[in-house]
Amino acid sequence: MAVDRRGFLKFVAGATTGVLATPVPWKLLDDASIWTQNWSWIPRNVDGENSYISTISKLCPSAAGMKIRLVGNRPVRALPDDNHPLSMGGITALAAAEVQLMYSPSRVKRPLKHSGDGAYVAISWEEAEKILKENLRRAGSKIAYVSGDETGTINELLSGMAKESGSEDFYVMPSEVQPAARAFAAMNGNGQLGYDIENSDYVLALGANILESWGTVLRNRAAFKQSHPAAEKPTVKYVYAGPVQSNTAAGADEWLPAKSGTEAIVALGIANLLIKAGASVNAPDFAEFKALAAQFTPQKVASLTGVTPAKLKAIAVELSKAERPLVLTGSEFGQGTGVATVLAGTAVNMLLGSFGREGGVKALPLAPKVIASGMDRSEIADKDLVAYLSRISAGKVPAPRAMVFYEANPVYGLPQPAAMAKVMDKVPFKVAFTSFLDETAQACDLILPTPLGLERFDDVETPYGIGQAFYALARPVAPCAVDGKPAADVLLNVASQLNMDLGFATYEEVLQAKAEAAGADWDSLMEGEFFTSDAVAEQSGLRLGAAVMGKALAAAPKAAKLSIAPVQKLNIGTPNTAIPPYNNKTIRRWELQKNEMYVAMNGATARELGVVKHDRIKLTNSSGSIQARVNIFEGVMPNTIAVLMGFGHTAFDEFSKGKGENVMELLTVGYEAGTGQSVWNVAGVNVSKA
Amino acid sequence: MEERLLHPADGNSTSRQFGGAAPFFVGLVVALIFGWWAFPGMLFSEQEQPINFSHKVHIQDAEMECSACHYFREDGTFAGLPTTESCAECHSDEPLGEDPEEARFIKEYVETGKEVKWHVYQKQPDNVFFSHAAHSLESCNNCHDFSEVELCSQCHIDVANMDKAPTYYENKLTTYSKQTMKMWQCERCHAHPEHYGVTRSSNACFVCHK
Repeated sequence: MAVDRRGFLKFVAGATTGVLATPVPWKLLDDASIWTQNWSWIPRNVDGENSYISTISKLCPSAAGMKIRLVGNRPVRALPDDNHPLSMGGITALAAAEVQLMYSPSRVKRPLKHSGDGAYVAISWEEAEKILKENLRRAGSKIAYVSGDETGTINELLSGMAKESGSEDFYVMPSEVQPAARAFAAMNGNGQLGYDIENSDYVLALGANILESWGTVLRNRAAFKQSHPAAEKPTVKYVYAGPVQSNTAAGADEWLPAKSGTEAIVALGIANLLIKAGASVNAPDFAEFKALAAQFTPQKVASLTGVTPAKLKAIAVELSKAERPLVLTGSEFGQGTGVATVLAGTAVNMLLGSFGREGGVKALPLAPKVIASGMDRSEIADKDLVAYLSRISAGKVPAPRAMVFYEANPVYGLPQPAAMAKVMDKVPFKVAFTSFLDETAQACDLILPTPLGLERFDDVETPYGIGQAFYALARPVAPCAVDGKPAADVLLNVASQLNMDLGFATYEEVLQAKAEAAGADWDSLMEGEFFTSDAVAEQSGLRLGAAVMGKALAAAPKAAKLSIAPVQKLNIGTPNTAIPPYNNKTIRRWELQKNEMYVAMNGATARELGVVKHDRIKLTNSSGSIQARVNIFEGVMPNTIAVLMGFGHTAFDEFSKGKGENVMELLTVGYEAGTGQSVWNVAGVNVSKA
Repeated sequence: MEERLLHPADGNSTSRQFGGAAPFFVGLVVALIFGWWAFPGMLFSEQEQPINFSHKVHIQDAEMECSACHYFREDGTFAGLPTTESCAECHSDEPLGEDPEEARFIKEYVETGKEVKWHVYQKQPDNVFFSHAAHSLESCNNCHDFSEVELCSQCHIDVANMDKAPTYYENKLTTYSKQTMKMWQCERCHAHPEHYGVTRSSNACFVCHK
């Protein structure tokens, strides 16, 4: 029987009816919906046993203690560690992103060399070490080392290699540490300044952004939390003086708007009032200090800083009434402050009787160095990287033949970065040991990938801001996600081939020796324990450093009519990490929109400048210029523009590169009279509509 | 002029000319056969386990409980399938039995430290959060009187008495197992009013879909 059209249609109708009575359409529909959940780019759960490893962050400048959660052998999350003195149940936004940073698109995945045409060429580790060795040998004593690590024993290794080559040029990236160490040295002090914030009953932070970026932040936050129970009256008063209502100012019980870079003047104003009320210090230069402080009358302080006489007097009275007051000084953006600032703050502490007292300032002992030819912390504090690069730029000292950068990004992270980059051009061979392809690595001839702190052995010794001597190990929680080698092991190997005698064959041996020198038990450290000690360094003949303060303040730059106030936030990362991709969503819409950053000013300043919210403006000064849009925020002092740090990367990845502009372009380096310390916490700026 | 006819001139009925209802029924039957018999074979691929694991030997001969291998960890999470390392606690140097599969397991997995890529009959998608801890004997036996094997086999294939691992049918479209439970099967308990009354196991979406 032939099948005609009508017969065929009947067949189709029957088949359709039949199919509807089978699982075919319904099962396919269901399966298709499941199939759409199986795209290759959707991550899958990998089951495994949960375990936790205690360690410490080498990426976060606050040396955050943390617990890493592993599922099977895979680290999945950085968590707070209740039992760690540098976590105390908290974690910083940067440390929280550390596990995800292992898989950052900017990680350097293998050794690279820059070829003649500027392209990167992947090379083997053997070839990389050969290039490194030949160039270090060729450079001889004309070599400089730059470290981005403040707390690791690797600085002894790097400085030891410099010295073994006959060079004194070892530098650490600038932070709060150097001015504090130099200040204590100027006081004839022994050890490192430590702050017993937990036991204080009145905390005055002059510029020190203690709840966001200053010192061991998590410890500061824990002390703040402890003294500020929810829905109850605070037991400790926190006062913050600074130009912007930062996170610290917002959390503090009182915010004293004070111009950027005037912390020392506020401190001397308070010292003057305390001395008038009868306070004194048994120090050989007290009379000199008294005369210096007397110059800073409340009226003068008000004119220089913006802190009203009544407010200054009230703070001085509150401080003198407190039983265990503590004054902390620093820069609201964690760098660029002068030695005089720390001296003035410490002098106030001494006037209050808070030096060496519970809840006050302590002198913490530091473990002796273990690499004989290396530099200890006080020697390192005298080495001023910005001053060194500026001298090269000015032609006062010759550029080295080779520079070694260890987890340091000066091309982005120093003031006037364009000028710093020009100095780099003068150096024939540059090598970067780095985890990420940052601006400095891009300017280097050889780029060597280092494992992150979660992938290597490293150490942290008594970070600045802590109140007791401390030592802990960072331990590898996972294999290195890239073809990286610990820089210390590579350098020790090269050093041995160059016949340098550093006394150790492996970095683990160095760390063991350091742990022993610190008084810590190696086996406990390897299990994630940490070493703390309440011992204090003995002092004799402590001075106030009045002469140093006098010289510095006599020549201190006056605040400009319109100043910028850089603001540091850890979620936006550091020059070494850029913005962790995990953290992009924590950046607020009035901080960054797409690739445009916002700067904040109050309504009165905006009216004076003739700008309104969202206006595109250009900020210019003698150092450089940046573009941004305007945000109006009444938590900024008059005639001040708050600019977030951490934007404007020209390297890294889509999560950081080209997002906003780098405030460091506007920071002008000056030199503190008397100490020669490079400072950049005062910068004027002109604003025009872009 | 040619006559236009609505019906054939030879008087044949339309039903005879177009086969009546037969094509409809032929189509119906073909579709039913395809849908119920051919389609499942086309949709699922048949796969055998990499090693023929005998649950019967372990449960009946070695007198082990399900939970000897499929246990809860100290933190309450469920270990699921044992690792090669766990199996090697018994199966290390010499085979314990005469099954060549055991010898192969030792040679190919224990000695190399490789994990066996078992086919999981009851693998759920990541968007389904199933807690074995919440479905424990302690919880279910408040009312039921399940043995461990009976409880496990409420959802899993009852492999306790099987000497040969059942064939694994993988859905070619979704890549999940044919035996993977669908939501309506979960709801046999979750939507059951008596279960809710006793266990407070709500049937709300977020109970399983996190």
